[in-house]
Amino acid sequence: MRRTRRAMALMMLTGLLGSLLIGSAALAQTGTGTAAAEPVVFDVGVDSDITSLNPFNLCCGPDYEVMSLIYDTGFQFDNDTLEAAPGFIRSWERSEDSMDWTLHTVEGATWHDGTPATASDLAFTFALIADYQMPFYKDYFPFEPTFEVVDDTTVIWHSTEPTFAPEVPAYAPVLPEHIWGELVGSGDPSDPEVAKATRKTVKEFENAEAIGTGAFKLEEYENGQFIRLVRNENYWGTPPKSLDEVVFHVFTNQEAMVQALKGGDLDIVDALNPTLFNSLVADADPNIATHVGDGGCWGNIAWNFGGQKDAGGDTEDTADPVIHELDFRQAVARSIDRQEIVDKVYQGTAVVGYSILMPGSNGSWVAEIPEDIQFNYDVEAAKAQLDSAGITDTNGDGNREYEGNELDLELLTISDVSGSVDTGKLIQGYLADIGISSFFTTVNTNKAYDLWYTGEWDAYVWDWCPDPDPDFMLSVFTSDQCLGWSDGCYTNPEIDRLYDLQQTQLVRAERKATIDQMQLMIAEDMPVMVLNYWSDLQAFRTDTFTGHVRSPNNELGLYILGWTNDTYFNVEVVGADTGEGDGGGAIPTWVWVAVGGGVPLAAIVVFLSRRKTGDEEA
Amino acid sequence: MGTFGYLGRKVLHALLTLLFVISFNFVLFRWLPGDPVLLLARSQHLSREDIAEQIANLGLDLPLPEQYLHYMGDTLTGNFGLSVRSSQPVLDVIGDRIVPTLRLVGLGTLFSTVLGVLIGIKGAWRRGSVFDKTSLYGSLALYSMPEGWLGMLLLLLFGGSVFHLFPAGGVRSPGLEGFAYFVDIANHLVLPVLTLTLGYIGEYAIIMRASLIEMMGEDFVQTARAKGVPDRLVRRHHAIPNAFLPTFTLIFLSFGFLLGGAIVVEFVFSYPGLGQLSIEAVNESDFPLLQALFLISSGAVILFNFLADITYGYLDPRIKAV
Repeated sequence: MRRTRRAMALMMLTGLLGSLLIGSAALAQTGTGTAAAEPVVFDVGVDSDITSLNPFNLCCGPDYEVMSLIYDTGFQFDNDTLEAAPGFIRSWERSEDSMDWTLHTVEGATWHDGTPATASDLAFTFALIADYQMPFYKDYFPFEPTFEVVDDTTVIWHSTEPTFAPEVPAYAPVLPEHIWGELVGSGDPSDPEVAKATRKTVKEFENAEAIGTGAFKLEEYENGQFIRLVRNENYWGTPPKSLDEVVFHVFTNQEAMVQALKGGDLDIVDALNPTLFNSLVADADPNIATHVGDGGCWGNIAWNFGGQKDAGGDTEDTADPVIHELDFRQAVARSIDRQEIVDKVYQGTAVVGYSILMPGSNGSWVAEIPEDIQFNYDVEAAKAQLDSAGITDTNGDGNREYEGNELDLELLTISDVSGSVDTGKLIQGYLADIGISSFFTTVNTNKAYDLWYTGEWDAYVWDWCPDPDPDFMLSVFTSDQCLGWSDGCYTNPEIDRLYDLQQTQLVRAERKATIDQMQLMIAEDMPVMVLNYWSDLQAFRTDTFTGHVRSPNNELGLYILGWTNDTYFNVEVVGADTGEGDGGGAIPTWVWVAVGGGVPLAAIVVFLSRRKTGDEEA
Repeated sequence: MGTFGYLGRKVLHALLTLLFVISFNFVLFRWLPGDPVLLLARSQHLSREDIAEQIANLGLDLPLPEQYLHYMGDTLTGNFGLSVRSSQPVLDVIGDRIVPTLRLVGLGTLFSTVLGVLIGIKGAWRRGSVFDKTSLYGSLALYSMPEGWLGMLLLLLFGGSVFHLFPAGGVRSPGLEGFAYFVDIANHLVLPVLTLTLGYIGEYAIIMRASLIEMMGEDFVQTARAKGVPDRLVRRHHAIPNAFLPTFTLIFLSFGFLLGGAIVVEFVFSYPGLGQLSIEAVNESDFPLLQALFLISSGAVILFNFLADITYGYLDPRIKAV
C-alpha cells in the first residue's frame, strides 16, 4: 500500500516537472526569438575597481582609463611620440615670449546632458585647478596662470613666466561649469580658508552622473563590480568604429579573470601576474593572444643619504655613512645581477633597465646610458672598487668595515610591491658575495610610507612610475624634495641647476639635451639603482574583436590602459559576433524556471504523501 | 527570576558588549601601522601640505581623546564619516555591498543548515548504515576542506576552462532587466553559494548527528519506543527537538556572522560584498570604513547571540532558571 502511494507521488512529481520543463522551455524560446540587434560590447577585465567617479579622487589602475573615455582632456597624447595632440583643444599658438598661449577649443561639442560645451568650460576647469590648487593636477599649471575667455572657442592662458606647461598633456578632464561651478563659492581663492573649503567640497562631490564630453557616457556603475559605458551618439569627434558599449569588469581574483577570458566572457584583460600569463602562453590557445607591454614603472634600489631631521623631519635618520661613498654605491651596483632578478623574480617578463625614464612611457626623452656607467654585473670588479676605496675587511671576519664600523645594511622591502621582497632576498645574497652583511625588514606599503619620511633605513626596494613628460620624475632627484618626493634626501647642486634649466627651455631639442645630461648624471651618481622596467601583461581574444592598437604605438605599447584610447576607437567585431559578454556561461532561463517552480511543487507532493503515511502509521 | 528579569539582563549584557566593541574599534584601527592619507600620496603626487590638509579634514590631527569623543558622538548618531579613499559617505559605500553579501551568505547558510541537519538526522537514525558512513566521511572531508581551495576548484571546473557553466565572478551582468536580471543573479550565485554550502554542510551534519545519537540513548526516547510509538514519531516529536539545541546555537552564530561577509569566497569569485570591502578597507587603511564594517559585523553577532539567548530560554526553560 505504502509502496503504491510513493509510486503515485513519484508519477505525479514527474508529470509536473515534465510539463513545467516543457512549458518553461517554450517560454524561454519565445523570449529569445524576438532578440533585436544586440549592442556591440567590449568586455574588459581589470584587477581593481575605480577609486571614484570624481576626477579629483583618482588614484590608480583603471581610474584614468574610465575617466578618459567619459571626459575629454585639453590635449591628448600623440600615440607615436606621446607629445601633445589635439583633444578638446583643437589647435594652439603661443606668443613669442611663451607667456600667452591661445587655445582654440572644439566647435559644436555638447555635454552628455545636452548642454553646449564651450571654451568657457575649459577656462573654468583650468582656473578651478590653478586658483584652488587642486592636488595632483595643480603641478601642470605653474607660474600662477590666469585664463581669459575670448569667445566660445578661444581661451588665452596667461602665464607670469615663459612656460611650455600648456603644451604638456595634463590628465585633467575638462569639466562642465554648469555642474562643477555650483561647488565653487564666490569667495576669493587666494584666501587659504576659502581655497581649503572649496577643495574639500570639490573632493567630496560624488559626481554620480559623470557628465563629460567624451566618446562614451556612463550608463551604469556597480561598486566593486563593473563600470558600463555606452557610446555617446553626439560625440564631437570621430566616433568609435564599432563599439556600442565598453564594460570594465572588476576581478579581485586574477584566476577568475583568466577563466572569464577563456570562457569568452571577457574580450581583453590587463595586469596579469607572470604565473597566469605564462600559463596562457603555454596553453597556446589560437583564440587568445598575449602581450608583454610596458608596465609604466621601474623597480629600483634607493639609497638613504640621511638629512631628514635637518629638513624638518621628526626623527633622526639612521642611514649608514658609507652610502655617501660613490665607490660604494657603484660597487654594489656591479655586484647585482639585474638579469637574474628579471629571470627569477619576474619570470622573464620584465626588462633590464638603466635610466630613470622608460622607453614605453617617456619615448624619445629616454637617454642611451653608455656601457661604462651601466655598472653591469661583475663581482670581481665590485670587490676591487671597494678595496680601492678603502672599504675593506680589516679584522678578517669576512665582512667589510667602513670608518672602523662593520657594515650591516638595513634593506626595506615592501610586501605588496611587485617583486620587492624576492628582489630583496637576491640583493642580500649579492651583498654577501662582496663581503657586505645586510638584513631586510619587510613591511607593507602603508608602513613603508611611514618609514620613508623617518629615514630609518639604509636602502629600499621600491618602484617609480613616470609621467610621459619627464618633469615630475626629474624633480624627485632635486634637493628641495627631501621629505617630499625624494627617496633618500639625495642632494646634488648640479642636478638642481639642470632641473631648473630644463623647466625654462622652450625648444624641445635644448630641453632634451639637458634632460639627457641629467639621466646620465643620475645613472653614474647612483642615488637610486634602476633595476628593471616592469611589464604589463595583457591578453585578449582574437575571435571576438580585431584591430587592437598599442599605446604608444610601438612594441612596448599597451592595448588598454595605455596613454591613449585608440583600441576602443578602432576595434571591430570579428564576423557576426557582437562581442556580447552574457555574464558567463550560464544555466538557461528555462532551467531556472523549472527549478524555481519544480522544487516547491516537489516539496508539496512529497510532504503530502509523507503526511498521509505518517497519519496511517499513527 | 521572571521573564522580564531574564530579558533585562540579556539586553544589558548585549548593550555593554556593544559599547566595548565601539571603543575597542576606535583603538584597534589606530594601532594599525601606516597612515591612510600617505597611501594615496605617491600615486596622487600629494605634497606634504596636501597630506596635512587631508589629515586635518579627516580629524586625524586631533589628540586621541578628542578624536575618541568625536568618534563616539558620531557613531551614536549614526554618522560614520567619509571613506578616506573615495571621499564618499561610509554608509553609502557599505550600502552598495550589503545586499550581495546578505544574498550570498544567507543562502549559503540556509542551504548548509537545512541539508546538514537533514543529513545528520538521517545518519544518526540509521547509524552504521551505508548512508551514515558515507555522509559521515563526506562531512568530515568537506568540514576539513579550506573553502578557498574548494572555491578555486569549482571555479576552474565550472567557470570557463573545463566546463563553462557559470560566470567566473561578480554579482550580475550589466544591462539586464526584468526576469533576465534575476536569472542572471541566480547564475552568478551558483558557484559561491555552492562553495559556502559545501564548506559548512559537514559542520552541521556532524553536530546534528552526534547530538541525536546522544539523545537516542536517553530514557525518555527508550520509554517512547517501549510504549510502541512509531519510530518516525519518536524521532520527530521526542528526539529531534531535544537534539536540535546545539545545532540551533550554531545556526544563530552563523547568521550572526552573516554581515561580516564571506571574505575568502567573495575574494575567490570576485564577489563585491562586505567581505571583499573589508579586504579593500584594510589594504587602504580606510579607518572610517573599517570602523563601520567592524561595528556592523560585531553588532550583528551581538544581536544574534542575544536572539539565541532569548529563544534558547524559551526552548529550554531550564536556561532561564540559571
